Amino acid sequence: MRPALRSAVGRINRCILRCASLLVPRDQRADWRREWNAELWHMRRSSSPPSKQFSWKAEQAAAAFCLGAFQDAFCIRNIRRQNREIAPSQHGSAGECLCWLAGLLALSCILARVLPGVYMESHPSRYQINPGLILLQRDLFTDSSAASITGQQFLDLKASRQRGIDGLAFYRMTKETLSSGLHVKPKWAVAHANFNLFALLGGPESLAALSSESARGLSPVVLSDELWKREFGGNPKIVGSVVRVGQSAARVVGVLPRGSWRLPGGADAWLLQPDAEINRSSVGYVVAHTTRLGQAEMYGDRLHVDGFVADDPDADLWGVSFDERTRGPWTIFRFAIFLAFLALPAVTSVSLGESCFSSHRPSHIRNLYRWIFLSAKIVLLLSIAYFASLDLSYWNATGYSALSEYAQLASTFFICLFGMRWILLDQRERCPVCLRRVTHPAQVGQASRTFLAWNGTELMCTSGHTLLHVPGLPTSWFGTQRWMYLDTSWKFLFAGTGVG
Amino acid sequence: MASETKLSHTAAMILQAIDTGCVYGFSIMEMTGLPSGTVYPAMRRLERDELISSRWERQSIADAEQRPPRKYYKLTAAGRVTLEASRKRYPLLERMIPSPEARSV
Repeated sequence: MRPALRSAVGRINRCILRCASLLVPRDQRADWRREWNAELWHMRRSSSPPSKQFSWKAEQAAAAFCLGAFQDAFCIRNIRRQNREIAPSQHGSAGECLCWLAGLLALSCILARVLPGVYMESHPSRYQINPGLILLQRDLFTDSSAASITGQQFLDLKASRQRGIDGLAFYRMTKETLSSGLHVKPKWAVAHANFNLFALLGGPESLAALSSESARGLSPVVLSDELWKREFGGNPKIVGSVVRVGQSAARVVGVLPRGSWRLPGGADAWLLQPDAEINRSSVGYVVAHTTRLGQAEMYGDRLHVDGFVADDPDADLWGVSFDERTRGPWTIFRFAIFLAFLALPAVTSVSLGESCFSSHRPSHIRNLYRWIFLSAKIVLLLSIAYFASLDLSYWNATGYSALSEYAQLASTFFICLFGMRWILLDQRERCPVCLRRVTHPAQVGQASRTFLAWNGTELMCTSGHTLLHVPGLPTSWFGTQRWMYLDTSWKFLFAGTGVG
Repeated sequence: MASETKLSHTAAMILQAIDTGCVYGFSIMEMTGLPSGTVYPAMRRLERDELISSRWERQSIADAEQRPPRKYYKLTAAGRVTLEASRKRYPLLERMIPSPEARSV
């Protein structure tokens, strides 16, 4: 009977410990139970009578011992909760800041991959054209994206001997239907070009070799990637088939990859025609290839071309380099960054506010962390500025446009300028020891007593490392913010509950 | 931090008990006369404040003695400094829980 009773009481004690262990955080529970079970074993062994007879007194002591486990479990639970309450001091930490910036960067990167205009713009290798090409226009200040030369002028130019130019090609834009069936289709931008255009631009060899002799019969037509996908469903057997371009039939000879070249007009299809079929009265674009002499005579990216314009003898012909169209977004980005850094002192102080009240200085390793953090923020900001400006500028664009370039310049400039301003402000308000933002601003002093004592705002590091004093009214003796490093005597204010 | 920490009398007793060689919970209870519901939570807080540290006894030792392994506690350097400060604050502490050397004298 007695051993059975003893065993039953032992089970009750273990049950008490098991119940108490449910209060202990899961990851500490096994260790906690192991310790209490061991302690209970030793406790029972030391308090049991030597004869191992059942003793109510000993069992009472064991039960009281086990009930104390609840207080211990509650204590562990509270300690964990306090640690969690300290954990929110992660709010405003350096890691959190970098995570936010990295998140923004990831978002802008994803958008840049998804938006077709951005993708084309950020992959300049896809629209590389032969070097030394220029686009002719009638006036120095004409918008280069507008057609300005008639077919007759092109033929006159081609017939005359040109200084500094060794190749000319013409195309004009029309809006025409393009389909393989008879049903009604939307109109597309079709470029009527002469045969040497592709050879001049440096297109695929099969297209560059096309000539009026090789394309007897039907006119060859080259489709853009977008038109091929939307009108013909990306049919891989489209090459060689006959389609109707407007009222005439043409044979598809190829599909250009997405983003090929960046010629004005935004052609969806290129219908190649011999010079004899050029409409002399319609206005179009003339692409010319310059010789070394021509390139030497260029003023910046422009070249004056000696050409007689029959209907306007006083008009000048100017060639504009394609470099502007093919340089990609990187040049604009660098220029915008330069402008933003130039303008930065106008919007904020470039100081990092590192002065302090005493001679105390953070360790070199802490300083290194600060600079690494600052550099990481700048790198992330510049990356965000690059992708976000492209997203903003080309979200609705399908190809090159001067407006998109201006938008990219402006957006990069503003993102960099105000981003850098935020970075410096943020850096100035980060504790030099733990890199957390200082919080709990408190107004200290009175403005009317500036000459007697300082007045301004006091902020504190929640980890208890520093206080930041920002003068409300900068004076000759207290012009900029100062850090006050707190020694160990301040710790008890930040340590939460005391010991014992 | 440790030199500035002001312990309660109970916490100081527990530190003193550990210093005198009571290195596990139940022995501290026996030495101080405090209940388990006081001793163990106080030890958790002392450990949190890095005044004491704990380690598990090796299983092989416990197996050799046919008993479960115990968790041993010892003072850290900070705990020692704090205990010194507490002895000045509570002069009777050493009389209540004398060290083995003092007992032998």
